[in-house]
Amino acid sequence: MKTSMPLLRFVLLILALIATPAMAQRAPTHIAPRLIAESEVPAAGRTVMLALAMSPEKGWHGYWANPGDAGIGPEFKWTLPAGAKAGPAQFPVPHRLLIGGLMNYVYEGDYAHLIALDIPAGLAPGTKLPISLAVDWLACTEEICVPESGSFAIELTVGDGTIDGARKAQFDRWRAALPRPLGADARFQVKDGVFRIGVPLPASAAAQDAYFFPLTDGAIDYAAPQTVRRDGDLLTIEVKAHGSAASLQAVEGVLALDRDTGLSFKAAPGAVATGGALLGSDGGAEGAGGLAGTIATSFGLALLGGLLLNIMPCVFPILSLKALSLARSGEDERTARREALAYTAGVVLVCVALGAALLGLRAAGAAAGWAFQLQDPRVILVLLLLVSGIALNLAGLFEIGSIGVGGALVSSGGASGAFWTGALAAFIATPCTGPFMGAALGAALVLPATAALTIFAGLGIGLALPFLLLGFVPALRRRLPRPGGWMETFRRLLSIPMFLTALGLAWILGRQSGVNGMTMGLGAALALAVALWWIGRRQSAGRPGWFALAPALAVAIALIVVLPRQPAQASTAEAGGILAAEPFSETRLAALQKEGRPIFVYFTADWCLTCKVNEKGAIERAEVADAFKAKQVAVLVGDWTDGDPAIGRFIESHGRSGVPLYLFYQPGAAPRILPQVLTPSTLTALAG
Amino acid sequence: MTLRYWIGGTVAAAVAVAAPLLAEQTTGAKAGNFRLNDASGKVVELSQFAGKTVVLEWHNPGCPFVQKHYDSGNMQKTQAAARAQGAVWLTINSGAPGKQGFMSGAEAQKLVATQGAKSSYYLLDPKGVVGKGYGAKTTPHMYVIAPDGTLVYQGGIDDKPTANKADIAAARNHVLAALGEVKAGKPVSVKEARPYGCSVKYEGVS
Repeated sequence: MKTSMPLLRFVLLILALIATPAMAQRAPTHIAPRLIAESEVPAAGRTVMLALAMSPEKGWHGYWANPGDAGIGPEFKWTLPAGAKAGPAQFPVPHRLLIGGLMNYVYEGDYAHLIALDIPAGLAPGTKLPISLAVDWLACTEEICVPESGSFAIELTVGDGTIDGARKAQFDRWRAALPRPLGADARFQVKDGVFRIGVPLPASAAAQDAYFFPLTDGAIDYAAPQTVRRDGDLLTIEVKAHGSAASLQAVEGVLALDRDTGLSFKAAPGAVATGGALLGSDGGAEGAGGLAGTIATSFGLALLGGLLLNIMPCVFPILSLKALSLARSGEDERTARREALAYTAGVVLVCVALGAALLGLRAAGAAAGWAFQLQDPRVILVLLLLVSGIALNLAGLFEIGSIGVGGALVSSGGASGAFWTGALAAFIATPCTGPFMGAALGAALVLPATAALTIFAGLGIGLALPFLLLGFVPALRRRLPRPGGWMETFRRLLSIPMFLTALGLAWILGRQSGVNGMTMGLGAALALAVALWWIGRRQSAGRPGWFALAPALAVAIALIVVLPRQPAQASTAEAGGILAAEPFSETRLAALQKEGRPIFVYFTADWCLTCKVNEKGAIERAEVADAFKAKQVAVLVGDWTDGDPAIGRFIESHGRSGVPLYLFYQPGAAPRILPQVLTPSTLTALAG
Repeated sequence: MTLRYWIGGTVAAAVAVAAPLLAEQTTGAKAGNFRLNDASGKVVELSQFAGKTVVLEWHNPGCPFVQKHYDSGNMQKTQAAARAQGAVWLTINSGAPGKQGFMSGAEAQKLVATQGAKSSYYLLDPKGVVGKGYGAKTTPHMYVIAPDGTLVYQGGIDDKPTANKADIAAARNHVLAALGEVKAGKPVSVKEARPYGCSVKYEGVS
């Protein structure tokens, strides 16, 4: 034993020395790639899709083909059997990551590059196809970057092209993440340091979060905010141009419509019309002056909007009551100022808190609009009950004594009462802001957090401004009416706008959770009213009765739990139109073919302008409908708006990468691919 | 009383948004002057080198792209060539404290000595004022200023945007090319190129 110990140590040492370099080589990368083929047995003469699936560790990201201000896109080097050809790597729609004022176009979660591999024709089944790929990529966190590389090899066997079910689903998910070809040409122009690009996009297509990702370097200042406008069937984006943009002969890029949907296109130089409805400024970053300008404008708009809110029925009653109480405080300057400042603080803090909550939700990836709290019917119900309660109080049904949460705080005198009045005013005001504040709030949603919060603060300051003025300019206060008996009448009158607000909330509730939801909400309001009435009766008899609220609250809480989240009526799109088109599926197509009917199949998408023009001008026409009816032509329509992979695969199998695609099946013949620009006569001739 | 401070804070937050923004210098125009402390604490101002060619190099010792050019000796060679023709070489670190590549003056002096860097001064820009004023986006990010003070080149050090040392040999060194052309009194042929590397680690989250 003793003699073997040094030997053992020696062996271990040697093993360690051998193992170390191997371990270093296999050190896990921060982004783990895998090379996968959609079919292990691709058919000769066909194309098989390969995927390089990338899994970044938490906190790490990989780069788009154009990395933005810093970073580097991946590089692919293939080693393939003779005759096989790999297409360019396709990139999913990237995301924006702004770090220290520098824009990065990245992927923060799992993603995949898809590569079409052409298998040479004439290979015997069973032929082995060794595929190997060397990739260099850059993995970064917000702090550091690591250049990584790897080699990946797989062996395919020539076969019948069978695709495994699970793998098909996986590839379908990856396909859906790719930008879809727009199928139309865009134009760009560079003038006075502004890069303006015009993309044909149907007015009806959704583009809430439009952003232009330029694939061509040197076109735009990546970190500068982008201004998106829509004018009919044209979407334009304006952004600070890169110094050398004017010399570009073509610009390629991806127009992201929302976080995961994008359209790829090429743009040629040409005039781009100005004007159109502003969708909001997007892509926020510290562009030279751009951000400051946007913030100043948005802040101004927010301030104005806040000011306007003062005369909104949902705010005015609260404000007026507070103003009256201020007038009541007489000539005491100190008290007046303190109350005005406290009110302002309450309003601003609630606005900023709402903004912060919204930013939190935005960060969490929730699709949140400004009135985000109003998208949840449960919140609407709570607001409905609150507003009903306030209205009933104003109408004199009951008095708010010394108990109650919001009410007690509001009615308590001095600075803290004023603070809570402000807070309540701001919270109540949010339902009213939507129509007024769209643009400024849209900007707030896409700007960096500090800028966004400034805008919310602006809203609050605007809302608090009249009261602040009353507090600091005694002359204004002296012009306020003196308190007196008329105040009670006035208070009763103020209940009317409050009831109207309740009515509006009930309507929103109805929109969100249907007639049942609205009825439940109104039922809860009734329960509350009865409870409050009972309280009022006891109050007038000098006895407390607040415990009556308990059953009413129980009813409200029960409702909040069961309230339907979806409207009862589903809003289905036009069912087939005048052609009585059915939704496309390959099984339906096969069934119709079996019946021996001629079939017209068309593929469309909401964002495809050519498609919409053809549908209006050539497909959905009375003469076409008549001709098709006469010959019993069945019509199938495939909607590729959301990138349905089954449809994508079908389109691909017809040698196209996107929509529009028009096919006509005569019984017993191969399908005919129709031209991309249709006329009614083309279609009637088919049926004839 | 605290309410007043809350209001004050809100207003201050509104003002703070108008903070320094990322600007850029225009190639062919006069390069903006700046003043920074070097690693030894000495004040260095761009205008003091009037009449000389000046090269600016944005630096972050932790960045693999910077390491590509230092570990291979390429950056030192470029620095030596520039100095040999009478140019001034300013290496600037705009990394914020706590971020990758940030160094104290002493640390920077030590690094310059161990790496054998040939720059004239190693300047510290922890607040990122000069970096943002020049629109420095990556490390490395290079600028060449002609003796008359005009900016004649800005961009990457060469045309091979990789972290691989083996790519240096076949690359066109844009800085050396621009320096040669300036010295020969010729216009610079490549005035701008895409900078590549890690992002400059400025302070702040966004």
